[in-house]
Amino acid sequence: MTLLAADGGPACYVFTINDWICGDYYRDRWRELWDASVEHLWITAAAVVLGLLLAIPVALLARRLPRFEGLVLGATTIIYTVPSLAMFSLLVPFTFLTPRTVIIGLALYSLTILVRQILAGLRSVPDEVREAAAGLGYSSLRMLARIELPLALPVIMAGLRVATVSTVALTTVGSIVGYGGLGNLLASGVDTDFKAQILAASVLCVLLAVVLDLGLLGVQRVLTPWARARSS
Amino acid sequence: MTGTRLNVRTILGTMLAAGALLTAGACGGDDGSAPSPGGDSDPTETTEPGASETTDSAEKGTVAMSGQDFTEMQIMAEMYRQVLEGAGYTVDVNLVGTRDLYIKGLGNGQIDLVPEYLAGIADQLNGDKPFTTNDTQEALSAVEPLASDAGITMLEPSEATDQNAFFVTQDYAESNDVTALSDVAGVGDSVTLAAAPDCEGRGDCEGGLTEVYGIDIERILPTGFGTQQTKDAVLEDEAQLGLSGTTDASLDELGLVLLEDDKGIQPAQNLIPAVNSDFLTENPDVEALLNELSGTLTTDDLAGLNAQVDIERQKAADVAEAYLSEKDLI
Repeated sequence: MTLLAADGGPACYVFTINDWICGDYYRDRWRELWDASVEHLWITAAAVVLGLLLAIPVALLARRLPRFEGLVLGATTIIYTVPSLAMFSLLVPFTFLTPRTVIIGLALYSLTILVRQILAGLRSVPDEVREAAAGLGYSSLRMLARIELPLALPVIMAGLRVATVSTVALTTVGSIVGYGGLGNLLASGVDTDFKAQILAASVLCVLLAVVLDLGLLGVQRVLTPWARARSS
Repeated sequence: MTGTRLNVRTILGTMLAAGALLTAGACGGDDGSAPSPGGDSDPTETTEPGASETTDSAEKGTVAMSGQDFTEMQIMAEMYRQVLEGAGYTVDVNLVGTRDLYIKGLGNGQIDLVPEYLAGIADQLNGDKPFTTNDTQEALSAVEPLASDAGITMLEPSEATDQNAFFVTQDYAESNDVTALSDVAGVGDSVTLAAAPDCEGRGDCEGGLTEVYGIDIERILPTGFGTQQTKDAVLEDEAQLGLSGTTDASLDELGLVLLEDDKGIQPAQNLIPAVNSDFLTENPDVEALLNELSGTLTTDDLAGLNAQVDIERQKAADVAEAYLSEKDLI
């Protein structure tokens, strides 16, 4: 049985034809592309959210303890230099062959960008503003939540956007433990010279990155209405 | 200014909370398709008295299968899955990049079953020191004690085997009257070999060709194992000899022919199911099911199945299903 195209000839993605752009491929495999995109999206999202949850307290601690800061920034940078193939292999004995391996690995990578950017954001809050808030009797937690984080938000969001886009790309490497989203299709496509699949997975990866980036930009605009008011 | 800064204890408390979320969130993200990481999170598991708690020990329970992620193993994994599901098991398949990612899990019961190559798993269990025997039974008796020490049981090897194999163009074969590797040395000319970069010096590759067959290899083009580039190099006469596998499906299509390994330099790479020993003790019927499949499968069958996936681009699951129903295995 040979897979047939709509017009009755062989499908344009068979090895002997192997078109880069092939309607039969999208028709026959859209389900696979959709599932891979969904997996890619949730692994990326889980990794970035986990990275953010780790980065905020680490950045706060680094700000509080200057000696700790150099250590933290050094450590996150060293983590970033661990090749992703090695990172996942190192995590497997603890997290097994589950999506956890990929999510934790990618979250650790995102720390490099997020911790620095959260620190930079908090530092961008003017001292006068902080002193005024203290004068009004703001507790430290309330000051963080109501004054510092909102003012640091544009800088933090810029870091979050970079971290998200880079995580979309890195998620593909998760295919070595079987959870790489579109990376699974890319890897098997490269192995078998499956051009339509390689191109489709690559384009979807880029689309995913663009959509997430625009989405975060939208979130930032909603969260910082004052910035919009000023610029318009 | 100390009053305006968060104190260390508050921050550490937050980190602890984030850590707790990490654990909870990561477990939540673990969908049903993942192999049970240690039996602790598998809702289908029932505890049998005396059963190892690290395996899915339920009668006709869940089988966590892994394996390497390329066409041939995708097909093998699909066949194992469908045969076991036909017998009432639930099977989770997660194929990964390399063997060392699952080999420990197979020994300790995180993974129950893996489709394997006999000499491949033997080398891995032997600490990456290669066994070189060409004989299937010899290779099997060499690997069995190592596997058993690691908590792994090897079932029946199939006659189907995927070994390194060398190909030439049909023209070259006809004009020089070459059908086996030992004929190549007789042609007399030195040859260029298109192969994987690690080919040089290996007993199953350049080393064996030079020392056992006496072929004069001028140089090696590092174009990869059975890749399109390797085939193109031979087709365009940049190389006369190319490296691929015995189950390579695309050679015929391209006008390339495999040469017989008549002096047996290739280790026995028969397809063989490797099973976690505790899992097999609890689910003894798995052995007969998989042995029947191994007994049916031939190298030609496997090459044909590979062709359906790599050339016709059918899905591994469909190809496996068609084969199994044709052979009355499901």
